[in-house]
Amino acid sequence: MIKHLFKLIWNKKKQNFLMIIEMFVSFLVIFAVFSLLVFYYHNYKQPMGFDYNNVWVVNYSSPENIQNNDSLTLFANTLKQMLRSMPEIKEISFTSNNVPFSNSTSNSGFNYNGKNVMANTYNAEDDYAKVLNVHLLDGRWFTSADNVSKISPVVINEKLKDEMFGKENAVGKIIGKKPDQLKVIGVVQNLKDKGDYQPIENAIFRRMDTAGYKYATILLKVAPGTDAAFESKLFKTLSNAIGTSIEIEHLDKKLVSKNKIFLVPAIIFIIVASFLIINVALGLFGVLWYNINKRKNEIGLRRAVGASGNSVSKQLVGEALVLSTFALIIGSFFAIQFPLLNVFDLPASVYIIALMFAIVFIYVLVIICALYPGKQAAAIYPAVALHEE
Amino acid sequence: MLKNYFKIAIAVLKRRKFFTFISLFGISFTLTIIIVLAAFIDNILSANYPETNRDRSLYIISMQQRDPVHQGQMSGPLSFYFLNHFVSTMKTPAKVAISSLFASTNTYVNNKKLVINVKYTNADFWDVLQYQFIEGKPYTKQQINNGEHVAVISEDTKKEYFGDVSSVVGKYIEADNVQYRVAGVVKSVPVTQLISSGDLFLPYTVSKTDYNAKTYMGSYTAVLLANSKSDFTKIKDEYANIVSKLPPENKDFNEIHSFADTYLKSFLSFSNAGNGVTIILTVITAFILFVMLLPTLNLININISRILERSSEIGVRKAFGASSKTLVWQFIVENIILTFFGTALGLLFSFIILQVINNSDLISNIHLTINFTVLFYSLIVCLVFGLLSGVYPAWRMSRLQIVTALKAQ
Repeated sequence: MIKHLFKLIWNKKKQNFLMIIEMFVSFLVIFAVFSLLVFYYHNYKQPMGFDYNNVWVVNYSSPENIQNNDSLTLFANTLKQMLRSMPEIKEISFTSNNVPFSNSTSNSGFNYNGKNVMANTYNAEDDYAKVLNVHLLDGRWFTSADNVSKISPVVINEKLKDEMFGKENAVGKIIGKKPDQLKVIGVVQNLKDKGDYQPIENAIFRRMDTAGYKYATILLKVAPGTDAAFESKLFKTLSNAIGTSIEIEHLDKKLVSKNKIFLVPAIIFIIVASFLIINVALGLFGVLWYNINKRKNEIGLRRAVGASGNSVSKQLVGEALVLSTFALIIGSFFAIQFPLLNVFDLPASVYIIALMFAIVFIYVLVIICALYPGKQAAAIYPAVALHEE
Repeated sequence: MLKNYFKIAIAVLKRRKFFTFISLFGISFTLTIIIVLAAFIDNILSANYPETNRDRSLYIISMQQRDPVHQGQMSGPLSFYFLNHFVSTMKTPAKVAISSLFASTNTYVNNKKLVINVKYTNADFWDVLQYQFIEGKPYTKQQINNGEHVAVISEDTKKEYFGDVSSVVGKYIEADNVQYRVAGVVKSVPVTQLISSGDLFLPYTVSKTDYNAKTYMGSYTAVLLANSKSDFTKIKDEYANIVSKLPPENKDFNEIHSFADTYLKSFLSFSNAGNGVTIILTVITAFILFVMLLPTLNLININISRILERSSEIGVRKAFGASSKTLVWQFIVENIILTFFGTALGLLFSFIILQVINNSDLISNIHLTINFTVLFYSLIVCLVFGLLSGVYPAWRMSRLQIVTALKAQ
């Protein structure tokens, strides 16, 4: 049966060639859409790893009259004391500018046993874990006891641990070479701090040192239900104390705008792609429908020699499916290159799932487009069809 | 002759309504995407309010300091000191507008938080950029030198901060914990215009950072207004000369690069060293070709199917001596007529979509329009589209044997 269908298609290869190309290109479009969707969903499904509700960010630039590191630290401590005295503020930590959901990043390479791994670096204070409610998986977070440790302590995230140490225990290991050695004291659950739809990246947290206060940001955990009245009071107090321009942001609002940066282009892409597919579906439907009108004689003859209406319509749908199989084989050949060559650095599973979805989608699309023309063909009466000749 | 082709084309379109619908849907939708894209690009590139002097302006928006030994580099906007000291004193430009890139701060009205983008400017800023004042006027050089706390605000800020009041000039607005007297209100500018967009414009002298700090890097950019376009090379040369004589700030970073460039070029080199313009053009062309590929294939397929419908007509014409060339030509013209119909629909759809984008809050204050440039490009695209999707089917059609063509019916 299938062999017969192949023969039918081969006989009209010139005409079918363009149809195959069209299906092939639509397959690639669908593959791209599904890759994007699967990738976003895959990221969305990951746990956030921290708690961003009721966390505020204070951006400020250090006063220019304070230049040396010790006075900057002193200045930061004074600010901290002042903020702690407010009952609405529960926890507070100074950190580097790459706070969650901000657009600034800072990364560098870390070396362990000759293996170099890139990771986002964050400066964090002892209370950072409490402000963001970070989940510790192993070891501990920084404490004041680390003031005296000889090797700088760091906390790494799960992803970096897997990449750097594999199944080994990470706590206690030393990263890097002297004199820039770092000692891993804890492993935290991955923080999805770049937004809901962004992939998780390697992260390494260093304890805030005196040099870090030059370019710092303040993270505040406030009591639930704290309103704008308190915020304006806080703004005034901080503005007077710091003296330079400041801005207060809320992490939950930052997340919304960060997500928008990813969602808007994706939505535009999906709208464009779906219009392309509607276009293709209509075209496919039209061409198949037309072909049936052209093949009335052949179908009439088949009916006359005993083929049932059902088998005629099955044949036509089958032909369309074989045609799309050609396109899918060529398409899959190209699509499979993406995971093989590791294009865009997405996990291979994303491409594989997207590939399956795309194949199923094209088959369903072709069946839907061929069903009505097939049904029409089944309704052809042999006598009428043959009479026309 | 063309009139006949036109008549035939209309007759064919009327014959199979479903196929006509598919063809028109594909064409109009493709054109809609391209027109909306073109309108957006045009909006970013053309000299819109308030940067109407863009065609005779050069922009200095960044400086790069390189360390050739360690392959390090620092780049970013410039300091007020640098621009005021080295650029304002240049002889060739007519005027130099200096302004900071906008920085966000907060203000609180009636327990509601407003995020305000603040921009510090010099006095010439108001001459180089043609802001439309709804009320009041810009602050003067005298006021700047006195360090007066005066401000020009955007219309949006006026609405959000003061509510529905007719006049706010002379009233006070609090931002970043300081009271400023409102001197004027200007029509708002969308954020797509980095140099001119802002909610609160203030004299540089009231900035909380030290504007006289003797460093090259900072948060300011400059727009150099030339007397005419022909002065561009002179200005560029003068600036290049200044940059080449700059003493390095840091002994390691001893290569200093900064250029006065036209708007598009200066922004593309900001993010992408080198030939940013070529890259952007390639990306846009690739996107347009990709969007056009599927509808073109689709149209070719449908056109090929429709040939058979007309095989008797083709057979008769051939039998009476029409050459293949005539037939090909006729078919292409018909197809172009069809694409023109599609384009007309596409223009209608894109007009609706642009209205929706303009009225939605997606990008506030943006005003996308279909102007002559956009129209011109869409007509070119339409023509290319018509040719691409018409040539192959026409060639196939012209090769039909008379006998087969006549026998088919």
